Formats: sequence, structure tokens, C-alpha cells
Amino acid sequence: MVFLQPQLRNLVVLAVLMATCITAILTLSPYPLLVLSLVGIWAMLGLSWNILGGYGGLVSFGHAAFFGGGAFTVAILFHDYGVSPWIGCVLGAVVGGLLAVVIGAVTFRLKGHYFSLAMLAYPLALIPVFTWAGWSEVALPLQRTNPIAYMQFSDARIMPAITMVALLGCLFVCLFIERTRLGMQLYAIRQNELAAQCAGIATMRVKLVASLISGAMAGLAGALYAVVVLVVTPGSVFGMLVSSQALIVSMFGGLGTAWGPLIGALILVPMAEILNAGLGARLPGVQGVVFGLAIMAVILVRPQGLFWAVRDHVASRRPALPVMPSVALQAAPAAPAKPPGDVLLTVEGISVRFGGLHALSDVSLEVRRGEILGIIGPNGAGKTTLFNVLNGIVGTTSGAARLGDARLTGLSPQEVSALGVARTFQTVRAFPRLSLVENVLVGAFGAHRSDRAALEAAWVTVRRVGLQDRALVPASLLTSRELRLMELARALAGNPTLILMDESFAGLSTADVDGMIAQIRQLAAEGVTVAIIEHTMGAMVRLADRFVVLDGGRNLASGLPDQVVRDPRVISAYLGKRWVEHAGT
Amino acid sequence: MTGISRRSLVAATIAVPVLTKGVAKAEGKTVKIALLTPLSGPLARSGELERIGALMAVEDVNRNGGIKALGGAKLDLTIADAGASVETVAAAAQRLVSDNELVAGIGAWASSYTLAATEVTERAKLPWLTLSWADTITGRGFHYVIATSPPSSSIIPAALEPLMALAAKATGKAPATIACINDDTAVNQSNMAPLRAGGFDKLKLKVVMDENFSVPLSDAAPLIQRLRRTRPDLVLLGTTATSDSRLLLQTLSEFGLGQGKVPVLAPSANWGTPEMLKNMGASNLEGVIGVAGNWGSKQQATLLADMEKRSKEPWMIQDTLSTYGHVLLIADALERAGVADRDKLMAALMATDTSDGPAKYYLGGHLKFQSNGRRANPVPAVFQWKNGVPLTVLPEADAQAQLTWPKPA
Amino acid sequence: MNWSEHGEQILQVLSAGLLLGCLYGLMCAGLGLIFGIMRVINFAQGEFMMLAMYAGLNGVALLSPGRAWAFPVAMGVAVIVALLFYGMGAATHYLLISRVSGARALGSLDGGHTGQLILTLGLSLVLQNGGLMLFGSSPTSISNAAADTSWMLDMTDDITLFLNQARLWSAVMATAAVGLTLLLMARTGVGRRLRAVASNPVAALYMGVDVERSFRTAFGIGLALTAVAGVCVATFYPFQPYTGFDFVIIMYAGVVLGGMGSVGGAFLGGLLIGLVQQLSTLVLPPQLQNTAVFVVFLLVLLARPQGLLGRSVERA
Repeated sequence: MVFLQPQLRNLVVLAVLMATCITAILTLSPYPLLVLSLVGIWAMLGLSWNILGGYGGLVSFGHAAFFGGGAFTVAILFHDYGVSPWIGCVLGAVVGGLLAVVIGAVTFRLKGHYFSLAMLAYPLALIPVFTWAGWSEVALPLQRTNPIAYMQFSDARIMPAITMVALLGCLFVCLFIERTRLGMQLYAIRQNELAAQCAGIATMRVKLVASLISGAMAGLAGALYAVVVLVVTPGSVFGMLVSSQALIVSMFGGLGTAWGPLIGALILVPMAEILNAGLGARLPGVQGVVFGLAIMAVILVRPQGLFWAVRDHVASRRPALPVMPSVALQAAPAAPAKPPGDVLLTVEGISVRFGGLHALSDVSLEVRRGEILGIIGPNGAGKTTLFNVLNGIVGTTSGAARLGDARLTGLSPQEVSALGVARTFQTVRAFPRLSLVENVLVGAFGAHRSDRAALEAAWVTVRRVGLQDRALVPASLLTSRELRLMELARALAGNPTLILMDESFAGLSTADVDGMIAQIRQLAAEGVTVAIIEHTMGAMVRLADRFVVLDGGRNLASGLPDQVVRDPRVISAYLGKRWVEHAGT
Repeated sequence: MTGISRRSLVAATIAVPVLTKGVAKAEGKTVKIALLTPLSGPLARSGELERIGALMAVEDVNRNGGIKALGGAKLDLTIADAGASVETVAAAAQRLVSDNELVAGIGAWASSYTLAATEVTERAKLPWLTLSWADTITGRGFHYVIATSPPSSSIIPAALEPLMALAAKATGKAPATIACINDDTAVNQSNMAPLRAGGFDKLKLKVVMDENFSVPLSDAAPLIQRLRRTRPDLVLLGTTATSDSRLLLQTLSEFGLGQGKVPVLAPSANWGTPEMLKNMGASNLEGVIGVAGNWGSKQQATLLADMEKRSKEPWMIQDTLSTYGHVLLIADALERAGVADRDKLMAALMATDTSDGPAKYYLGGHLKFQSNGRRANPVPAVFQWKNGVPLTVLPEADAQAQLTWPKPA
Repeated sequence: MNWSEHGEQILQVLSAGLLLGCLYGLMCAGLGLIFGIMRVINFAQGEFMMLAMYAGLNGVALLSPGRAWAFPVAMGVAVIVALLFYGMGAATHYLLISRVSGARALGSLDGGHTGQLILTLGLSLVLQNGGLMLFGSSPTSISNAAADTSWMLDMTDDITLFLNQARLWSAVMATAAVGLTLLLMARTGVGRRLRAVASNPVAALYMGVDVERSFRTAFGIGLALTAVAGVCVATFYPFQPYTGFDFVIIMYAGVVLGGMGSVGGAFLGGLLIGLVQQLSTLVLPPQLQNTAVFVVFLLVLLARPQGLLGRSVERA
């Protein structure tokens, strides 16, 4: 787990890298130094792509837009207005960042393939525009007087040094992201965006912040590219090749980690250059073929990229030692006693229609503070739809719900979460690659400003549900019971006032069911209100304070469990009229 | 089919092992020069033609005893692929200049590539020769660049003037209206710039249509439709890609304006390539007038015949000829400099002032350079397609055939 | 410009857009079929089309029919090339695509999409540059008389419409190919299986449909369609090994525009893109044609991502 890991290891690696760079710069001749600069630039572009694509799962085919934006900023400012590239580079990063935010704001509403293809269009649309505007070839003028003020150095070692410094800076930023909540939130969005929203993450804002950083990095890379290559053409900075290279370098080296693009650039850029130099004259096009084959081989054999392949190989040789957190575990705070009984949640006349299907018709109910309300009914009664409405996943055709004084309907899942309503799902929506405690951590961000406090809260909640021994296991390896408890913990980590639990007992053994019942009772005792959908009648009768019965999308009955269970209408709904006589047993 | 290109690939592959990268079999002293040209990517064909020219020239120089002032030292040619992007050009140029024995370089055909390459070579103080047209190449205050072609800004006016005079003589009336269709590459736009800024007015030509299109052109019909309505006396087609040239010419034909019905002026060397003949057919090309930086001269008939035989190209075009000339110019300058030193060589190049020797490979008779490296009094080569061969018609001293102007309908 | 000049210009541009649009439509139909059924983004589609162009060129050269007959012969060759590319598509799927899509990719985080993208991206690099090594870089095309002749339609005294023969017949061929495919999808067993697999592969699997084989078939048909488009285009458009890339953007724009799940929709999308590209020259400088295409593409994606005829935005 990388979150909040001490900086030391990263700093050591960065220091080693810096030492290697310095040695390289001092010993290499001008031509390899040029290649070194290009390695740095492409690595930066790869890092930039990785922020959105690797951490966030937002595969962009259009990073060339930000790269080219940065390159042209430097070139045009210098060529047309005499502004030094020192300033141009900073402005290039700004331009890249702003472009990314604008494009992201417009394009993030698209998902999956649509997002990738839309991103493809932006840089390619810019090429004819720039050519038409007369910027088909912008050369940075040679400055004979005072060249250093214009980033022109007679010493071939300075530009690689500058590029390496920029690269190290970007690397540091990416490592920082990995260690803090932005990275965790991006990982969560990547693995299950809806669950992330329900856990309280403001996904749009997270994506835009990530875009800003990604765009700025790409813009800086483009700006440095202009200074190194000295001639900027729309095709060379906005072209498909640039976007592809960003992607290839990251995926080859390792997706979702800052080291990936670095490794990728370090291997692929010199390789392309050597191919070009050695075979380019004899067999034109061979470098493209070899490059393409190399990429295909990696994807077929080790799709996660080199870094993970090597790491998994090494890890399988040595068993991983669990890292105990240095966070002190405190007992759960005693919940302040609230007067039981006043109404917390009101649902009035909610109707939901999906086309011709009336999922809910005029459903009303109340949930009182501190109680455990069981919502039951035969299959297809609309129970989960009701929760989806309360949670903000589905909209209502009519009717409203209120939490205290605040309106609950018509909000987005993260807004609902911010009001203190948490949700668990019928099928557990876990973040499979994250560990159990990381899954819970995602839920803690909403209620805790600082990362440290959020991590503490996550550990506390994990302890509360009794899973501290399994905290570091990836969610994909957890048992059914552990997953349900994890989801419960995630919901709790945000200190909710109301938890909506959807079929939490499904697939559990009797012993596990007893354990869950104890957990939920404990929650209620601590002051959390619970509304729970369940089918397992035996368990529900023991657990719930009150029942509400839905059938065919409508209210059927409500009251104390003993009464409701014997209500003939309820029995008829579940088992059919024939069984009504047998009721009471 | 792909006969021509495959042949030249084979020819080049055979020639290459002998001459690249100092694995040369040349014994004794050698003088190293380099050719940087696109050998992969969309411009590869032009690159190959440059390579053929350079190889033939090096062969000829070495066969005639090498550089006598350097004790018979032979020329050793390194060929580098400029690749398909400005970045690969810069890298290749950087690779070349790191070789301290290199005394001069040639390339890189496309203006943007030459711009990028010369940024590197200027800083390394390596003399560089190019056939690229863009004014910017010699407009940067560089001291180590030689451009032997006329600059873009003067290519069309320099060709139009004599053309219009000839037209007046042939038909009794000078053309009064012109329609221009250009692609939006830097070269063609800079060709048009001085004309749009009053050049046409000076020539007493009224512009009835002036359109730019983006490469690649998908359908020329709307453009030609518009052109047909304007009934121009002269059509100017500024293209760089053979496919666009072909599309425009073919559409002109389709709309009944081809085969010389309206005179077509095309200021680009790609209009005189064998590919054009293969794609368009001789009858469609008949009478089309092209402008280039260099073309065959009647005074070079034997040399041209010999080059055609050796290269297996049906005729020599700008790319091959100018590159051949560049190598011979370097050899001549080395003779005058007397030492294989970059600065002395550059000085000798700039001091070139002759109507003999290397001047024979360029049109216009006299070879001299301005202080910015551009050829002094450059004369564009105007050629015209006749019976499936593009023959030089201007300047008259070098003309292989006479300009014929189609009579207006 | 007076009204007859405007009228002529609009008519010419409209016809150019429709004719080119039919070809774009065929290209999009191929890509749309692959995406609709397999949810695979085939980045190398343009390169396969380029290979088909060269196949067509060589096929016609082999038969050497002379310029007058070259066009009809080329259309015949197109059918043969289509069959060839069906086989090539099936082989490519079997060897490469199936490893990063379908059943094998279900376990991975994003359904294997990134893997597929990179694989086909790498494939496109290999094909493009391999093509350069094999065929050289000179632009070439199938020499035929039809490409150089137009029918002149005198609409009124002052307005003449020029319809290029090669483009017109190619458009007809393209429409026929798409029509045939739609018939195949709607009426035959193969088509029913493909549609089932497209809408719910897991259910289809349980119903006994060999899903991997259906994917293979779909990939093959998709390539075959694009191959026909390639040979048609080769009759009037000069191409070289890098040509594929010129078209891939248009293909994607058309597929998204028409709705990524539908073959008919993709065809209409391609048609629309052709119209947008040509009609834009009425209001914009002709240089910005492709920018107009992209802008429309983005607008559609943002306003109606399921396209004009698509059903749902993302499969659940």
C-alpha cells in the first residue's frame, strides 16, 4: 500500500536517479545528450498521460493537444513577440493545464471508448487550424547576443540538465499524487466510478484537478521539446504519433505507476533512435515495424507493462511482509445519545417509471432516528429502486424525500453522501485492486479533511467490524462475508447518520448471519440509523425494529415485525393466497 | 507497377554498402561529407532521388582522381535518414555533426526539415547546402548555409514575367486573368506571399480566384467548378504532393479544361516527376508548365544521358540534379580551400564566382552567392511537358525545347 | 456570385459529399460492425484498407485489362479482395485480437480495452511501415478511364453538374455492399447469431453460440467491407502506405455519429461525414474541411453520444 507511505524510499530513488543523470550528462557526447533530452521529454509526456490514463483509467488519445499547446506557446511567443523561452516554458505549462481543464470539463461526461475517441479529435482538429493560420513552420530564431537569456546554450549539456530537472519535478509530483488522497480517489474512480460517487467522492472535481496537473505537465514537455528541436510544425506536435507515443511509453513501462513511463521512455526512445540510425537508410520504415512489434509483444505477454511484470516476479519469490501502520488505534468514540424516535428520513409519494414499467408508485414511509427499519417484499417489489432513488443513482418521476430538513431527491450520489447517507449494495461494489483498508479509506475522505485523519478513521472502522487481520488483503481475494463487512466499513468511515443496506445477508452462512446481526445492532446502539432490505426472514425478524412491506412498487403494510409477518396480505404477496391459512406457524 | 521505386530501392541498396558510414573501401585519405534526406515516410521518394544524385556525383569525383588539392583524397559520403518528423531530422543532424571529420553536409529536401537540420549544423559551424526554397532558410542571419535554388518569394514572379512575355508573343495578347489554387504548406504560401502583396498587380494580372486547400485533397470538383466559372486566362496550381497534383489535373480534364485548353502553371518540382506521367498519362500533361529550382539543360545533354543510364531514371529532375551539383560544388570549393577545414571550406563556398565548373549544374550560367547564403541572381527553371517528357523551356540559354502557349478557345 | 453560381456550387458540393459519403459509409460500416459486435476499437482498420488498395492494384495489374476496362475489372477484383480480407481478418482475430478481447479479457480491469487499443495501434505501425518497405513510397492508383471522365448533366441553361464516373460507380458498389451486409444481419442464421452475441455475449454463450467464432466472423466481415471500400477508393484516389491514417479519423467520426452499435447507422454516419466535409467548403475555407468534421464529431459525442441510430451509450 502506497498511501501515506513515508517519503524516504521515494526520495532515495530520486536521489539515485539524479546522481545517474548528472553522471550521464557529464560523460556523454552531444548526440547521446540530445537523445537524453528527448527521453526526458517523452517520459514527462508519459507521466502526464499516466495521471489520467494510468491512475484514473481515463484513456486519452489526445494528449498531443496539450503537448502541442505548450510547444506552440514557446515558439509563437519567441518568434512573433521576442519573448524568451524561459517565460515561454512556464506559460506553455499554464496553457497546457488550462486546455486540459476546458477539454476535460466538456469531455468527461463521456465514458470509456467515447471519451478516448473524443480526445482523439481535439489535437487532430487543431492541425488544419494552425496551418491555415499561417503557423505551419515556426522556427525559434537564433540569438547571437545574450543567448542564455533565450535558453540557447553553446554547451550541449545544459538542455539535458534542464530537461532532467523538469522530469524529476514531474516524477516527484506523480509520486506525491500516489501517496495522497488524489491518487486514491483516482484509483477508485478507475475501478468503479459509481461506487466512488456513492462513497462520497466528487468525481468531476477530482478528474478536473487531475487534468490540470496532467495538462500542465504535457504542456511543459511540449515547451521543452520546442526548445530542443527548434522547429515546430503542427504535424510534429499535434499529430497522432505524439498521442500514441504518450500511451505506448506508459503502457510499455507500466500502467498506473510513476516509474512506468520513465522505464518506457528510457527503453523505447533510445531504441527508436538506434533503429533509425542503424537501419533507417537501408530499410526505410524498419524502425516503425520493430517498434510496433515490440509494443504488440508486450501487450500480448505482459499487458500491465514491464514494471508490474518485474515486480510481480520479484514479489512471488519473496513473501510480502505486512506493513503495520504507525497509526495508533483508538477505541471507537462513544456515540452521543440522541433521543430515539424523531423522524430522520421522510419519503413522500415517490414514483419511478422506466419507460412503461412502473417500478415505484406513490411510495411513502418514515425512518426514525436510531431505529433499524426492515424493508421487505417479494422480488420485483421495487425495494432496491427505492434505495437507488434515495442514494441519487436514479431519478424520480414524482414525489420527494427529505433527510431532516434537507431535500434528498434530485441530488447526485456524492451530494447524498455528503449529507450523511451511506449505502451498501446488493452486489458488493468493491475496488478490486485496492486492499480492504484502502477500500474503506475511500469512504473516509468525505468526512475527514486531512489524509492522516482519514487513514486513522479507516483503520478504526476496520477494527470496528473486526477485520483488522485482513486489512491489507486485496479486495479481489476477500470472502463474501469479508466483502460485505468491508462495504459496511466503507459506508461507516464517512460517519453517516443513515445507512441504507441492500441484502447484506445474501450468500452468508448462519454463523455469519449472526455475526452481521450483532454488528448492525452495535451500530444502532452507537446512534447510526439503519434501513435494511432483506429476504432472510428469520434474520430480519430478529434484527428489525419495524418493517415496511412493498409489493409491486407500492406500500403494502408496515408495523412491528410480529404483526407484519402474520398479516394475511403480506403472506399472500409472498406465498400466494393458498398459504394464508397456514400462517401463524 | 511499383517498378520505378523498387528499382531505385534496389539500386540504392546495392550502392549503399559501398559508400555509407566509413565502411568505405576507399583507401588512403578521404574527405567526409554527408547527405541528410528523408528516406522513410511520405517524402521518401524525393529522398531517394537526392541519394541517387549524391551517389553518382561522389562516384564521378572519385573516378576523376578525387580532390587533387588534398593529395587525391576521395570523397566519403555518409547518408542519414531524416525520417518523417522534425524531431528525427534534428536527431539525425545532431548525430552527423558529432562526427568531427565531417566537413560539409547536404539536405534535407523539405523546408521544415532543412530549417531543423540547419539549426543544428549552424551551431556546429558545419557548412550546409540545400535545394530548399523557403526564404526563412536564408533569412535567419546564419553564416553556414548555402541555398542554391531561387527563394520562394521570387520563384513565381521570376517565372511569370518571361512566361507572359512569351505568351504575348505567341498569341498576340498577354494573359489578363489568373486563378490560383494552392495547398497550405509553408512553401506554397510563401511562394504566393509577394504576389498577393502587389506582385500580381505589377504583372497586370487580375486574380479571379485565390483558394487554399489542406493536404490531402479529397475532392477537387468544387474547386474546379468554381474555377470554370471564372474563365481565367491562366491557372496556377501550387501543390507539393503528387496525389493532390494529380487530382487537380484530372478534375480539370474532366471538366473539359484539360489538355492545354487553359494554360496550367505549377510551381513545384513534383509536377515533373516520372510518377506524374505514370499517374496522369502523357496526353493529360501535355502543355503543363512547371517551375522548379533546377532542371536539365541542353548544354548538359551528354551528362544527362549518362546520369539517366546510371540511375535508371527516365530523366533528371531538380532533386537529383541539384544534389549532384552540391557535391561537385563542395569538391570545387575544397580544391580552392586546399584544406579539409569547415571554416575554410565555408569561406571558399561563399567566394564561389564562376560560370564554369559547378556552375554547369545549375541553370542561369553564373554561380555566385549573396552574403546570406542564397544564390545571387537565381533563375528558376521553367519546364513544359511535351509528348510525355518535361523539357526545360526557360531560361532560353538552357532550353531543351521551346515554350508553346495554348491558344485561348 | 449570382444565384445560378450559388446553385451550381451547392449542387456540385452536395453530389461530391454524397458520392464520397457512400464510400466513407462503407468504411464506417466495416469498423462499426467490429465495434458493435465485439466492442473492439480496431486502430489498424485504415492500414488494412491500405493493404486492400495495394491488393486491388496488383490484382488489376495481373489481369491487365487496359484503361477502358480497368474499372469494371477493379470492381470484380474488389469482391475477390473482400473474400481474401475476410480470411485475413479471421486469422488476425484468431492470432492476435482474441488474446486481448472477448473471453480472455473479461478478467482485466477495463474489459481489455486498453490492451486492444495498444495491440491494434502496434499492428497499424507494423502494417504502415511494412507497407513502406514492401511497396515504396510513391503515390499510385489503379489507372482507369472511368476516373478521368465525368458525366455532364445540364440541369438548366446555366447550371451544369459533373458526376465523376469512377466515384459514382464506387458509391453504388459501396451502397450495395452495405445493403448486402444488412440483409445478412437481418435474414440469415449467421446474422442472427452475430446480433445475439452483440447484445449479450454471456447469454449467447449459455445458449450454445460459439462466441469466439462469431467474433472471428464479425472481424472478418468488418475487414472485408473496408477492403471493398479500399479497392473502390483506389480507382480514383492516389494512395501510399501512409494513406490509411487519412481515413481512420473519418471512419471513427462516422461510426460514432451513426451510433456505435449499428451497421446501418455507421453507414449513415459515414454518409453524413462526407456531406459535412464537402458542404463545409461553402462556408469555411476548404482548408478547414477536416476541422469541420471534427467539430461535428465532438458536438455529436457531447450532445447525443449514442449517435443518431445507436441504442445505448455503454453496454451494461
